[in-house]
Amino acid sequence: MLRYIAYRSVVAIFLVWVVVTAVFLLLHLIPGDPAELLLSQGSIAADPAAVAALREQMGLNAPIWQQYLDHLGGVLTGDLGVSFRDGAPVVGQIAQRLPRTLEVIITASIIATGIGIPLGSYAAIHAGSRTDSVISFLASAALSTPVFVVGSVVILIFAQKLKILPAGGYVPFSEDPFGHIQLLLLPAGTVALALLAVITRMSRASVLEVLARDYIRTARAKGLPRRRILKRHVVRNALIPVLTILGLEMGTLIGGTVLVEFVFNWPGLSGYLVNAVDSRDYPEVVGIVMTISILFVFLNLLVDVINAALDPRISLVRG
Amino acid sequence: MQTEPEQTLIEGRGLARNFPQRRGLLGQARDVWALRDVNLTIARGETVGVVGESGCGKSTLGRIMLGLDEPTTGTVDFDGRDLFALSGPERRKLARRMQMVFQDPFGSLDPRRSVGAQIADGLRTHDIVPANEIPTEVARLAQQVGLSHDAINRRPHEFSGGQRQRIAIARALATRPDFIVADEPVSALDVSIQAQVVNLLMDLRRDLNLAMLFISHDLHVVRHLCNRIVVMYLGRIVEEGPADKVFGSPAHPYTRALLESTPSMKPTGRDLGDRVLPGELPSPMNPPSGCAFRTRCPLAEPACAQAVPPLDPQGPGWRAACIKAGPVKPAIPEPA
Amino acid sequence: MTGAQRRLILPASIATFIAVLVLLAPFLPLADVRAMDVPGRFSPPSAEHWLGQDEFGRDVMSRLIWGGRASLFIAIGSALAAAVIGTTLGLLGGFFRGLVEIITVRASEVILCLPPLLLALLVVTILGAGTWPLILALTLLYTPNYARVVYAATLQVRSLDYVTAQTAMGTHPMQILVRTVLPNILPPLLVQMSLVVASAMVIESGLSFLGLGVVPPTPSWGLMIRAARGAMEQQWLLLLWPSLALAGTILTFNLLCDRLQIALDPRGITGSGALWLRRGHDGPPKSAAPAPKIAKSDALLQVEDMSISLAKGSKDIELVRNVSFTVMPGETRAIVGESGSGKTLSALALTGLLPDVLSVSGGRALLRTRADETVDLTRLDEAALRALRGGELSMVFQDASAALNPVLRLGEQLGEVIKAHNDMDDGAVAERVVALLRQVGMPDPEQRVRAYPHELSGGQRQRAMIAVAVANDPRLLIADEPTTALDPTIQAQILKLFQTLKEATADMGLIFVTHDLAVVAEIADQVTVMYAGQVVEEGPVAEVFARPRHPYTAALIASVPEGGAERLVAIPGTVPVPAEMPKGCRFAPRCAHAIDACRRDIPDIERPAPGRRTRCIRWKEVT
Repeated sequence: MLRYIAYRSVVAIFLVWVVVTAVFLLLHLIPGDPAELLLSQGSIAADPAAVAALREQMGLNAPIWQQYLDHLGGVLTGDLGVSFRDGAPVVGQIAQRLPRTLEVIITASIIATGIGIPLGSYAAIHAGSRTDSVISFLASAALSTPVFVVGSVVILIFAQKLKILPAGGYVPFSEDPFGHIQLLLLPAGTVALALLAVITRMSRASVLEVLARDYIRTARAKGLPRRRILKRHVVRNALIPVLTILGLEMGTLIGGTVLVEFVFNWPGLSGYLVNAVDSRDYPEVVGIVMTISILFVFLNLLVDVINAALDPRISLVRG
Repeated sequence: MQTEPEQTLIEGRGLARNFPQRRGLLGQARDVWALRDVNLTIARGETVGVVGESGCGKSTLGRIMLGLDEPTTGTVDFDGRDLFALSGPERRKLARRMQMVFQDPFGSLDPRRSVGAQIADGLRTHDIVPANEIPTEVARLAQQVGLSHDAINRRPHEFSGGQRQRIAIARALATRPDFIVADEPVSALDVSIQAQVVNLLMDLRRDLNLAMLFISHDLHVVRHLCNRIVVMYLGRIVEEGPADKVFGSPAHPYTRALLESTPSMKPTGRDLGDRVLPGELPSPMNPPSGCAFRTRCPLAEPACAQAVPPLDPQGPGWRAACIKAGPVKPAIPEPA
Repeated sequence: MTGAQRRLILPASIATFIAVLVLLAPFLPLADVRAMDVPGRFSPPSAEHWLGQDEFGRDVMSRLIWGGRASLFIAIGSALAAAVIGTTLGLLGGFFRGLVEIITVRASEVILCLPPLLLALLVVTILGAGTWPLILALTLLYTPNYARVVYAATLQVRSLDYVTAQTAMGTHPMQILVRTVLPNILPPLLVQMSLVVASAMVIESGLSFLGLGVVPPTPSWGLMIRAARGAMEQQWLLLLWPSLALAGTILTFNLLCDRLQIALDPRGITGSGALWLRRGHDGPPKSAAPAPKIAKSDALLQVEDMSISLAKGSKDIELVRNVSFTVMPGETRAIVGESGSGKTLSALALTGLLPDVLSVSGGRALLRTRADETVDLTRLDEAALRALRGGELSMVFQDASAALNPVLRLGEQLGEVIKAHNDMDDGAVAERVVALLRQVGMPDPEQRVRAYPHELSGGQRQRAMIAVAVANDPRLLIADEPTTALDPTIQAQILKLFQTLKEATADMGLIFVTHDLAVVAEIADQVTVMYAGQVVEEGPVAEVFARPRHPYTAALIASVPEGGAERLVAIPGTVPVPAEMPKGCRFAPRCAHAIDACRRDIPDIERPAPGRRTRCIRWKEVT
């Protein structure tokens, strides 16, 4: 098990390197001069002097391998450069905003798994019934509605029409704990809804598959109580693929969080990112993308490790 | 059964196949030999049966003899030409003369193409007959394996296991091969259907003078169908020789154990307990030193751990790899 | 047309409708998407503007249709481009493996390390917003998805025998790829395609919503939602229309994808859940009348005229018909037959473990319990069966590697069956587990308690399975093909184990289901031969094999290549399928001795000798 965790960690570090390199390559392999591309607006040509200055600032005049090493070195030392717009270090902004983003993601994950797994299992056991059809259809519908649509509609209902929750904003927990939680409720709930739909569908499919397995028939043939079959044999085995999917969904979850933060004015990484992209502040965008990608890699690592703890076959196969 | 003088068609020399297994990302690769030091020749028109339990390397041997898998060491000569020294196009051309029939009647046919199209593939690839005669030829092949004429335009899923196996045989016969490898072709079939296919294979062998490598774990079928038997254990040949000798008075203790533990419709009255071979197949990752069978062998002695016993002659065309080899009549009834 | 295909019609027609609508947008009598009408801003739906007017007084319906055109163009365009590139990469990588795999599939997977929306944002940062940068970004984004799916499918198809057969035939690799592999990976590819269209729409609209996608004044659903948010107080309907259009379109494609998956892969349907797990569901209604006494004195089990049916639509299909047999204490009864004979179903029915779609439709199965009561196994509810199963009545399954739970240690799997039927403390259970493992001949039982099933060999797994079955000293043990998947030497070991267990518990009855006549000869006292869902012959093993009284039994024995005959006796034809059973004797179409009378009525059971039964009207003449 320890060997497996060590192995997965090595893979995770490798993936981080891949991400860092991919971002670098993306920027340098796209035809044209990045500085010129960044400065041009549509068909209006960029000012040559500004381009030259930007090239100097971005270090584009150095040989490509040196640029790559600087890029790598920057990530290793936590130096992600300074913003074009205000010259502030990118790392500082990220450090301030990252915890707020994580708060939304974690709250949403807890809500979604807590409801999704029992709901999906219930639907699977009652497959073919009316309840199952309703649950399955609602899950499909929730999955098909983009988070920003859900967010906007939620604001319309809860803030505009019912006026029971604030439409958005942020207060630190230390200043107003109740207000903080009130403000967290809608964004976290919106992110959770999409994830809930995924988890419900996956749990349903997974439980259905497990129910058809021979070892469930064995468990029945043993005369075990219904609860024990459900807990030790059905759900335990069904969780493994659900978790794997959850790992793959992390990317979508992060993307969804970006949009939701924007919708609810939650000052996480997203508002920062959207502004950065809008003003094409290259160091800021690269810094945020890299941070989130590294977060993504480590969330996946976490999922893998939990999975290995649940399924003894995994650490054997690749450990 | 052999009336014509033996003429070697295919010859494998010093065949070995390693499937190295790497544990972990940086772990050391460990050798896992599926096949070691195997020499096997098959004459024209001869049917050689390969028997052994799962993991003994019989399927790997079949694939290598057909050139589908490259051995780690050793060569296979087909009609005097080294299969693995040929260029791609030459190799593909030679493929006309050697064909394969598989175990799983459901996986061996393309579910999306009609039976006729699949039988015709070989005819087209190798220009066996002019294009306008292909339908006639496909019909002839279908008839040869006992399929009705309307079978040609249907898809494989409309057929039962036995019929699919007939289709697979027709496809193999289309290129008019000299040599067929049949890997457990009847194992997945019901007993009553199994007999149909065994009879068909016997007829074809006789009518077409086919050489055949028949791989099976069912000793009764092999005994019924084959002239010569090869017994394998953990990647090596432990005994080979004429069917009546190997099964009538096996020289190797493993062959004897295999025969005795195979259930029979005519029980000898000898208690099952006396005939059961203890233990299980050792891991190919960590094979025992010397004779691989010594860990389960009732006759084993310290000398068996010293060196791998050579295949010593026991009679004409009959060899066994055991330092205590000798023909012993097993406690199974002679066929009537 | 199957039900699964019928269910495709609805999403497919909606998708077609949407596609036609946006394709025909330039030819429809729609208002100009840019024509402003400031006095009419925020107007509710009217005869002139069916869906109302937006914050600049523009026609909402017209903008909705044109916006869909932009969204779908981007989504479908990038889905197609990514499909072509990704499929090529995946096919090449999966078929040739090795270095090709690294430079195609593995390289493209690098992109999957980045969260999708962020990658799109990165591309937009570099290239600026607009339709074409979006298509490029989405193509880049979804190429690895296709590559991965196609790669996995190719790997799977590549290892199938029909591809090997093409290689063996000398077909050129490129021709194999195009002619054999590609058509067989189309189903997952199609599913992936509808999935990607839906997903691409989500990302496109998300970016447009952020103001980083489609550039105004081009209409787009994301942009419309963005604008409507600011005008929520004036006219909330403006938020509703694009939201409905967007969610509805994505839902259509998602439904299409789901149903396509089911239609293309029928194995994907894993039945109707689990009736037995539902709260309040107690299986077949418990009969009020007490079960009748077993007629035959001292019999352990008496099965009388048991039938099993598949409920399919309005009519039932009978898979097993009027099966009868008895098991005496200490007796081994073999049930032998080919696939489709109903032997396994009969065994499952005795333990109440039939799949939910099947049910016992007639007859009874009387078991004498330890308390010397008689129960009818076919009428017990789930709770009553649960008390018997694993205790007095237990079962060994064919494929032990599938029948053991892969994620639980052996000790727990054995311990739970002991605990379910005994009130024992953990220490006593642990001791009993080790003793059981030793009893079934497991090497190192103390260590093996902590092993997972995958750490055992096939023979050891079957031993563990048997240990589970005999843990509570059952009165009746049912073994369903317990040695079929094993090698000869291991098979002999397991058969020997059954013999030993029978000797140790003299009163235990054993039902041994198998297709192998030789195994029957080795292990059983009595044999019941089944064909096409019926018992055709029954009697003591030695007598039946020496002198079969049914042509099917005789032919089956003659088709085993053990006799040394030059030619095997093959039974022509195949077993009839349940929906098309012959009217009379079910074996008649394949029987060499069949006469007209055989084809008229189902033959009755006849008794050629004491203890022998046959279902053949001509047994006197032909056997």
